[in-house]
Amino acid sequence: MRRYPFLSSFLLLALALLLSLAIGSVFLPLRDIFASLQGNGSDLAENILWKIRLPRTVLIALTGMALGGSGAAYQGLFRNPLADPYLIGIASGAGLGAVVSMTVQWSYSFWGLMAIPLSAFVGALLTVTFVYFLARVGQTAPVTNLILAGVAVSSFATSLMSFIMLRSDGELRRAMSWLMGGAIQLGWTSVLAMLPYLILGLGTLSLHGHALNVLQFGDEQAQQLGLNVQRTKQVILVASSLATAAAVAFAGIIGFVGLVVPHIMRLWFGGDYRRLIPLSILGGATALLVSDVIARVVLAPQELPVGIVTALAGAPFFLWILRRTKTQGLW
Amino acid sequence: MFRKTLVLTLLIALLIGCAPAPSSEGTLPTTPAVDSAPTEVAATEAPTDEAAALTFTDGLGREVTLAAPAQRIVTLAPSLTEFVFAVGAGEQLVGRDELSDYPAEAADVASIGSTFGAVNSEAILALEPDLVLAAEINTPEQVQELESLGLTVYYLSNPLTYDELYEQVNLFGQFTGHEEEAAALAESLAARVEAVESAVATVTEKPTVFYEIDGTDPAKPWTTGPGTFMDTMISMAGGVNIGGVLSDSFAQISVEEIAAQDPNIILLGDTLYGVTIESIAERAGWADLTAVKEGRIFAFDDNLASRPSPRLVDGLEELLKVLHPELVVSQ
Repeated sequence: MRRYPFLSSFLLLALALLLSLAIGSVFLPLRDIFASLQGNGSDLAENILWKIRLPRTVLIALTGMALGGSGAAYQGLFRNPLADPYLIGIASGAGLGAVVSMTVQWSYSFWGLMAIPLSAFVGALLTVTFVYFLARVGQTAPVTNLILAGVAVSSFATSLMSFIMLRSDGELRRAMSWLMGGAIQLGWTSVLAMLPYLILGLGTLSLHGHALNVLQFGDEQAQQLGLNVQRTKQVILVASSLATAAAVAFAGIIGFVGLVVPHIMRLWFGGDYRRLIPLSILGGATALLVSDVIARVVLAPQELPVGIVTALAGAPFFLWILRRTKTQGLW
Repeated sequence: MFRKTLVLTLLIALLIGCAPAPSSEGTLPTTPAVDSAPTEVAATEAPTDEAAALTFTDGLGREVTLAAPAQRIVTLAPSLTEFVFAVGAGEQLVGRDELSDYPAEAADVASIGSTFGAVNSEAILALEPDLVLAAEINTPEQVQELESLGLTVYYLSNPLTYDELYEQVNLFGQFTGHEEEAAALAESLAARVEAVESAVATVTEKPTVFYEIDGTDPAKPWTTGPGTFMDTMISMAGGVNIGGVLSDSFAQISVEEIAAQDPNIILLGDTLYGVTIESIAERAGWADLTAVKEGRIFAFDDNLASRPSPRLVDGLEELLKVLHPELVVSQ
């Protein structure tokens, strides 16, 4: 498996995709899935597959990709094993944006339904921009400043969000529903809306593997090695933020994947960012798809918020990998 | 000075942010504040002849058309399940949400999940319903998803008065083809409410009432504020809700405020969740309250106030028994 990192990652992802299409309240055997994909299935199977399972599967996979890829990039950028895609305020910013827009009584229409993910997206980007400018010293944004500003702004935004939710009890259930599950219900619309940002963001990150490798020597050395350090950092920040913000806006705040998937990939396949970024993108999709399947079946027909599963199943799995590998000095 | 104010504001925001989020549906009634309720329910004109389609305008302002009274109904909230059974259409119910536990027969109907604010569309679709009923506890996003699957969905706003409740009973008569039973039920409900109102009309002394929704934190229990249905019910039953001084519909009241207002009666809506009448006196600062000393602490089935169903009338009668037992005897 370790000799063919990409092949095995792709195979695992394909398996996860199939699982996600087959399993749910109604079990669809492989034969039915293929028949329905070609338009020869029963009405019920086709309806479920095309309008529920497929958009959800794609959305979850894309979200996992964004979290895995951004997580790996952030860990490299901040040279910190605790970095995750939410480190500098994306999640709390998105939450605040979503909750603020929920205080408005939107009409029941396309834009009324899109208002929440859109304001979550805007809230996330505004928060990250704010953090960046707070942390800036002259032309540079030192990593420590970014992390501290990010943590402070996150806490502030989270508290403000709780406060607003407390004050607007009528829309509370809608806020809870978004925070725990995002806007997956909007189906293909969500997928189409987030796709461009993901392609742009994750594409850029994948091309910056070498730059991230050089950054591991520290800013000064990287500069001496001919890398435009500030510019590279900005590009990586913008790319990760776009991808994560789009994912969070539509899928809700899902923890742990962005932190742990890059570590697992690092333990399995080594710390070369040229491979680590794309592998984390694939691994993120696989991990989140499997979590989502678990979330669907554990209490069926009830569904658990996927964020509960990612940590509940992900943490033991990660610890197991960590114990088994017993590798030192990856950082 | 400015700095001090800022720090103080931040501290307060943080403190409030740390308060437990009222997320569990069991402890937080779903009746929203008056101001946040969407457009009123209005069943537009009845059919001209029996075969004609039924058209309704729902709580989201959507037009909903039924070719004939629904024979395969799915309800997404406990209150809706109660409505369906109340008009004698329990046989036409093919699916209900996980929390529907009244009447007992509801347990025999298939559950479609939904406990964390997300309904399971696949399970609903598999039941092939001809009418899906949603309530304010469900979100517009869910309605949109079910609608896009080709299902007929009606979104019922919460009634704000008993008159609206009777209208909704008749609406369920039209949904199910049980118009006569519904009309009879609406009439008897109205008569029961009138009986309470005329009994209370003579009352001069109105006891003050503290209604506890969730006393997990006895220093600041959750209670019902102004403008909720419970608030209305307490005053209709000849009492005064001490939570009326709050600014939100559902909020945590300080135990100091309770001591200052010293209610005549304490109603516990959380006895289903482990709070006992005996435990009240053991809470710090509660033993000196008049209601505790006089033993006027009563358990109250919160579902009779928090579920916008015909049982709101049962709730009113229960309240009258507790607030003015002398009137009930004379009836």
